[in-house]
Amino acid sequence: MSGWYTIAKWEFLRSGMKFSRRFVLAVLFTLVLLTIVSFAVSFTGMNLDQKIYSVFSTSQELNNIIEGDARFYILTDDGKDADLTIVEDRVYLSGTKKSVSAADALEKVFIAHRETVLASYNDINNSHPVWVTIHDLDRPESFQILGTATQKDGQVSDAGYENTGSIGNYKESTAATGQTSHIFSPEELEDLDNSNSKTLFNRQTIATPSYFMPPIPFTAILYSFLFIFPIYFVSQFYSSSILEERVNRRCELLLTAPLKSRDIILGKSIPYVLVTMVLLSVISLYIEKPSNIHELRTSIEMIGVIFPVLLLFFSLSFIAAIFSRSFKELTFAMVFFSVIVSGYLLFPAMFANIHSVSSISPMTLIVNLIEEGSISFGKYIFSTLPFYLVALSIYGFGTAIFREEDLFSQKTMKEKTLDCMELFLGAPLGSVFTLSIVSIPFVYMAQLMLIVMLFNLPLPYSIIVMIILSALVEEIAKSVGIYTIMKRGLKPVNLKTAVLLALLSGGGFFFGEKLVSVITLAPIASSAFGSVMTMGTLLLIPLLLHLVTAMITSLGVYFTGPRYYAFFLLAATGVHAIYNTYLLRGLFFG
Amino acid sequence: MDKNKVYPKKVMTIARKEYSGLLLEKTFILSLLVQLFIASFSAFLVVGLTSFYDPMALQGMQMKESKIGVIGDTDGELFKLMKISDLEPIKYDDFGEAYSDFYERKIDAIMNIPNEMAEGTGLINLDIYIPRSELKATIVSLQLKKPLEKFEQSVRTIRTARLEGYTPLDIQIMRWDQGTSSSKLEFIYVALLPLLMFTPAFISGGLVIDMITEEFERKTLELLLVSPVSLLDVIYGKTLVATAISPVQSLAWMLLLGLNGIRINNFTGILLIVVIVSLTLVIAGSIIAVLCKERGTSQLFYSLVLILLFMSSYLYTNSPLNLVSRLALDSIGYMEAFTWIAGYTCLAVLLLWALASIVEKEHMKV
Repeated sequence: MSGWYTIAKWEFLRSGMKFSRRFVLAVLFTLVLLTIVSFAVSFTGMNLDQKIYSVFSTSQELNNIIEGDARFYILTDDGKDADLTIVEDRVYLSGTKKSVSAADALEKVFIAHRETVLASYNDINNSHPVWVTIHDLDRPESFQILGTATQKDGQVSDAGYENTGSIGNYKESTAATGQTSHIFSPEELEDLDNSNSKTLFNRQTIATPSYFMPPIPFTAILYSFLFIFPIYFVSQFYSSSILEERVNRRCELLLTAPLKSRDIILGKSIPYVLVTMVLLSVISLYIEKPSNIHELRTSIEMIGVIFPVLLLFFSLSFIAAIFSRSFKELTFAMVFFSVIVSGYLLFPAMFANIHSVSSISPMTLIVNLIEEGSISFGKYIFSTLPFYLVALSIYGFGTAIFREEDLFSQKTMKEKTLDCMELFLGAPLGSVFTLSIVSIPFVYMAQLMLIVMLFNLPLPYSIIVMIILSALVEEIAKSVGIYTIMKRGLKPVNLKTAVLLALLSGGGFFFGEKLVSVITLAPIASSAFGSVMTMGTLLLIPLLLHLVTAMITSLGVYFTGPRYYAFFLLAATGVHAIYNTYLLRGLFFG
Repeated sequence: MDKNKVYPKKVMTIARKEYSGLLLEKTFILSLLVQLFIASFSAFLVVGLTSFYDPMALQGMQMKESKIGVIGDTDGELFKLMKISDLEPIKYDDFGEAYSDFYERKIDAIMNIPNEMAEGTGLINLDIYIPRSELKATIVSLQLKKPLEKFEQSVRTIRTARLEGYTPLDIQIMRWDQGTSSSKLEFIYVALLPLLMFTPAFISGGLVIDMITEEFERKTLELLLVSPVSLLDVIYGKTLVATAISPVQSLAWMLLLGLNGIRINNFTGILLIVVIVSLTLVIAGSIIAVLCKERGTSQLFYSLVLILLFMSSYLYTNSPLNLVSRLALDSIGYMEAFTWIAGYTCLAVLLLWALASIVEKEHMKV
């Protein structure tokens, strides 16, 4: 049997041993309590808004109606501070924001009361004369994918800005296809409606105007939570288990055993991955409830979409467990990572079906799968490739420093990061050139997260901050290898090699950047492929930029020493940001 | 020396050590980053989650008039009602024509109005076709709701007269302005605010578990106990730090919300509740950690207890979450608030006593 299998078996058995009988009993007891409480809560309407509005009224009849709603409480004494005062058939507001809100709530209470009274009559033609039937109709999305996708490419590669002019043509062509398409009759549409309107929440389709509720947008969030929650839960145990090995130094024995560190990591990870996969499969089966082979495929595809998310989450928990020096640090790191990753997943998914850029999040694909039953391979690659690449490289770096001197020492995070870099540069094929290429997916994801975080700032500022920060991210990626070489003295450095290193890292970054834009953009818009390839004349300038900025940090650190790294990093960022601003000048002045 | 007595000085020493440990590990910076991220997210949350909570809340937002294709009875009252509201109805002769415009995105919905009169006796069945899974569908439905309700009312004024003994409840609400949906205010004060107030407390409970189980797992506790401190001193010290950091964060949140124009009444009252709740959760965390002695299992149990407590706060008025909402909205009398806060304090003291007796028992074993 190979080594990882043995470790996996141990890990599996050990997690079972951890739970003493007393603990299991306590957990069971809590679960029983939880079930009882949840059962009780399900009768209350899940609200925490009891008694927030005050009403003063002298009419007993009205009081009875109003008290039916938990949000209101009736003032009995003089009603001086009441939000709403009812005199005869008029409701007066106290004028505060709260009272406006209370008035709206009261109106809804009265409408609800009217409906209950009317419903008690058994004469539907006179009590509920108007009925509304809702049908869902399909139509193609307004196709903005080309424009937005190349724009985003622009944030990663600096050369994509020029080709956004083609949106107009694209719209025309979709309009043209619309005309030739077959026009459905209403009956056929209804059939369509019944066949694939399979959603988690049964949508209301027939109602009277008073009960007519608009469809809930953003259902994607709920799906995302259903899928993220088990991943988050299991990864807690996973990271905790790895840190435990470090804390009680049990791992030292494992390292002396004739096992590769790769085997140990595989063995420790696989049981947790398997458990999570089982949980996720149950969830996807629950959502899809497959009744035929085609729907079963859809649920399998869902797991395929969520798998890279799981990998990323686990790789982050793994590296957090390796880097942190105590449980406290681990807890915070885990909270930090899960908030960031959830943001990345949830934010674009909210715009599923509205904006094509939303497909950068795998959660959007889940929504598409639920609604349409299939997704294109190109879309899958586009949204999951960064996840796979980042997760795998994190595992790669983590495996590299999975050795005694990093696991059982109190090295700082910075030292450990430099260790990763040093080992990478020392490996066969490892050079500043390849390091820059490997860093591309990290830069890509970091920049996408920046978009999420900066969404909140008012418009011109958010773009300025975005330009500066994304330039900073790219500069860090390019210079970290050079910095490691000079700080650690890995190679004898003279002026010639310093220049050479800068050329290599800048060139590597440029090469990787173009590679990513070709791979990820080609499948989603075939014409984007062409435009990337035809940018030939524009390619030279960004290449030059990457080389120049890499040169600034490289030579700066060479002449003044690693201590002034931050200063030259900022200088390079400044140059980079000015160039980007120049490219985007249309946004500010146009 | 009596090992079972608590010395405030020693508790403070332990607390100071833990506090500097927190700062040293830069965990604070991480947690600040997390909160900043949430803050930058929150404006988005207010729009996103409010509409999730209640799509009607989007009504107050400025929206473009949606174009709606109408077939059937285009001269009736409903058509006029749509015209004067936020909609732009367009007449079509048949469904095919309307659908091809819908497909090309010239219109966003299609409505079929039957030729049934309000004075008649049959049901009036309206068919509405909206684009599947587009945000536009929600917007169109929102804009349709008002004219539809008005139409229903006008048909009802004629038809309910035929119902025996029915008198409509006729109450006028004197609003000066348009009046916004109640959902936004309720979302901010009932969901967002309590959640933000208690998130630091939830984290503190987890934090104290980490602090305590770490001593057990690293076997540093035995060394600590050799020095002249008791187990109770150690636990109290950690409890103190974990409790103290949460109201600071809550206060920062309240100030931030205040800057965003969200008025919060009874600052001190809310802070007091936050302190008591964090104390309760931290003590609960300590009890669990002392009993389990292992991080993974303690955290699991703690999160279960947390969910349980969270769920039970739905069950009664003046649960800590509800109390914060009512205090922030100034919807509660002083006496009532004071009584409940006192009640929760008693609970915390009771738990503290339980912690002390459990720790003493465990100390014997160590």
